[in-house]
Amino acid sequence: MRRAHLLGLGFMTPALIIVFLFFLAPVVLTAVFSFTSMSSGTGISGGAYEINEQTLRSLTDRGFPKAKSEKLGHDLYRIGEEGLGAVEADFGKAFADEIRAELSGELFEGRRDLERELKKLRSRPRSIRDLKKAADLFKRSVLNTRFESETAFLDGVGETGVELTADDQAVLVKTAYTGWSWTTANYELITSMASTWRAAKNTAFYVLLTLSFNVGFGLFLAITTFYLPKGQAAIFRAIWILPRILPPVLYVMMWKWLTWDTGFLSIFLSNFGVEPRNWMLNSDINAWVCIVLINGFVGASLGMILFSSALRAIPPSMLAASEVDGANRWQQIRHILLPQLQWPILFTTSYQTLSLLTSFDYIYLSTDGGPGRSTEVWALYTFHTALNNYGGVLQYGLGAALALVLVVIGIAASLFYLRLFKFNELVSQPRIEQ
Amino acid sequence: MTKFTHFLRQTTAVAVLGLASALSGQALAKDLTITVWAGGTNDADIYRLDAIEMAADILSREWEIRGEDLNITVDKKRDFAGWAEFKQAVTLAAESGSAPNIVVTSHLDIAPWSQAGLIVPVEDYVDMDSWPLNNIYDNLMEITSYNGIVYGLPQDAESRPFFFWRDTMKAIGYSDEEIDALPAKVEAGEYTFANILEDGKKALEMELVQPGYGFYPRPSNGPDYAQFYQSFGGQLQDSETGKLVLDKQAMTDFYQFFADAVEAGLTRKNHIGTEWDQWYAEVASGKAAMWHGGTWHYARYTGKEGLDDFFGNIQFSLIPAGNENGRANTITHPLAYLLTAQEDEEAIEIAAQLIKIASEPRINTLHAIKSAHLGISHEQSNIELYANDRWAAEATERLLPHANAQPNHLNYGKFSEAMFKGLETAWTGTKTPAEAVAEVEAELTAVLGDDLIVR
Repeated sequence: MRRAHLLGLGFMTPALIIVFLFFLAPVVLTAVFSFTSMSSGTGISGGAYEINEQTLRSLTDRGFPKAKSEKLGHDLYRIGEEGLGAVEADFGKAFADEIRAELSGELFEGRRDLERELKKLRSRPRSIRDLKKAADLFKRSVLNTRFESETAFLDGVGETGVELTADDQAVLVKTAYTGWSWTTANYELITSMASTWRAAKNTAFYVLLTLSFNVGFGLFLAITTFYLPKGQAAIFRAIWILPRILPPVLYVMMWKWLTWDTGFLSIFLSNFGVEPRNWMLNSDINAWVCIVLINGFVGASLGMILFSSALRAIPPSMLAASEVDGANRWQQIRHILLPQLQWPILFTTSYQTLSLLTSFDYIYLSTDGGPGRSTEVWALYTFHTALNNYGGVLQYGLGAALALVLVVIGIAASLFYLRLFKFNELVSQPRIEQ
Repeated sequence: MTKFTHFLRQTTAVAVLGLASALSGQALAKDLTITVWAGGTNDADIYRLDAIEMAADILSREWEIRGEDLNITVDKKRDFAGWAEFKQAVTLAAESGSAPNIVVTSHLDIAPWSQAGLIVPVEDYVDMDSWPLNNIYDNLMEITSYNGIVYGLPQDAESRPFFFWRDTMKAIGYSDEEIDALPAKVEAGEYTFANILEDGKKALEMELVQPGYGFYPRPSNGPDYAQFYQSFGGQLQDSETGKLVLDKQAMTDFYQFFADAVEAGLTRKNHIGTEWDQWYAEVASGKAAMWHGGTWHYARYTGKEGLDDFFGNIQFSLIPAGNENGRANTITHPLAYLLTAQEDEEAIEIAAQLIKIASEPRINTLHAIKSAHLGISHEQSNIELYANDRWAAEATERLLPHANAQPNHLNYGKFSEAMFKGLETAWTGTKTPAEAVAEVEAELTAVLGDDLIVR
């Protein structure tokens, strides 16, 4: 390899690292998460093994022998030599001797009763936490104990004297595990739930409508300002860029002021006898119009900039020549301007498809998917599922599966666009100089 | 002085100091920062956090008397956008190993968070038989327990009443005596949702309230909506099997009521999502005829919203029964102090001591009265501030005996979310109530599987 190649690679390295860290790694992790049952209930970092009331109920449902689950359901503390030895080692001989003298051989159901007895002893530890730890040394059952590993758990169960067949053991371990497990259930859920289908439909609708508006309105603005005198064109363009440069929260808040029951639109229309109403959330149609316009104005400004700069690149002589030939404005647009805009239109369309597919910020801020989830697009639905829930139930696994679907659709859409617009030909040579 | 000697002096000083502290050993001060995060906490609820600070003061005095020096810095945080953001923050912080020591949150979080190992049982760290824990109401302690283990200490109690604006009720034909007797009628099941529709329509026809203000519900998801399900005979959890219950008839009737209220113009179709500030201002100024809220609303109405004569303007009762299948009811949704799992065992122990001290009747009373919540322990009725507060006394007497809590169940969050989603589609008219319930059923069956009983 020549040195120049190495140098090139050196320049590329930061970009490669960034692509790996911020694109590849998240996608791979999302794919991994999507095949798990991770949620705020299972945690991310792994689980433990625990038998509690809830586990005992599930065990019965799963055909675990009732006699055995009843035995596991006891919370027993027995004062025996084993525990006394441990107490002596941790808390001194005096305490152990006193327990031996007062409580030897006794059996307690639940720690609270034993604690009460221990508290009466004179040589007890003075910290309540230590007292509880001492009491735990007499525990001869597994109920409500968290075991960090399967072996420790099974050893613990073994000590209670409950004998398990291989089947019992498998059911018990599976039920008692509190962490996540590998599963394809997320994908089954996605295909079977009505709400995902609705989100898919909403997304298609949203992307199609907003994209058409973005490109169409962007083109309109670029071409109309192209024919304006320079100063006026600059003013118009600056005005239309405002939605993009405003902070999203502020921009959406202004839309809310515009559309609220007590907002500008309602007050203005009340002069004409129109009942005041919330023009953003009154019906599905209202909400969609607002969503498309809110996103559309932001997107259109980007299109406008790109298209305008592409139009600037057209040699003035070309336009002058066409005017000499007697072409009217429409003919100029049709035969000179639009052909030069093919590349920016491709770029805007593909870029915006991808960004609209995954973006939900303006929808989240304005309707939050309402009314009645009618504007909840896939990305917002994913966000709600994985990270934003009033009850705090965050379903990371399902959310990841939903997100992965978007990634796959995004890649498919990119490939489709590259073929449709013959990307290779477009990047081969700048046509403007041919 | 040369730079070198200066450097030499500094290093010697540092070394001497280091040696001194090493030799003095345990007599050195213990410095600890305890982080407390509280969800859903407004200005009036500030004692949720301040109580920990007061407790820290008391605890370090106790240590001082024992001859030990304890310096606790309490790091308080409550500026979360909403409950969803708060829970997201807590869960993600805990997963990344930087959980706050103490969280003040809904008792419903106990089930998932304990299973995930994010929180540890309070009963492992404090003596449950000692003051003031032995004075806390047993039923509240049950609500903060899961699988028979006490995970949290109740931070406050509350319940969620139904409200009537007296002037509007009078204008549609109720006498003062009849309005005074309303709570009893509601409790007896004689005033139901049918009456609400009827009275709301009257208020609308007489133009006492604007369209959409006959019945003005909470504008966002919350435990309140489970009350309506219960009003129509719904049951949240099967007591025998511990499974969640979807009663289709009750759910349909509950959705139908909201659809009817919208149809009759009593409630706005796009009501969900109304800004809370606007909502509070409207209900506290008589813009709505009937609405529902929480006992803590009293503080907001009489405080920030400036309603001077609460009892002269507003009547309150249980949430009425929906029909003959259901009953008048109210849900209490206590918040709890929870301890998160930490590597530093001593920090958990001290945090446990702090929440225990913060539960002292006198300290808790400050929160209860300032925020118009209800007390957590018997002894509070012997504290003048509490005993002489009319709202605390009447609300406790009228509501609490009939209050139940939502179940601490691993999947209850999914259940309540699906229930609210369904309500939203029926409310906004995207679907009919029957269609909405069918979708809720399909979704819950898919998501909950064995954990659900459909009736």
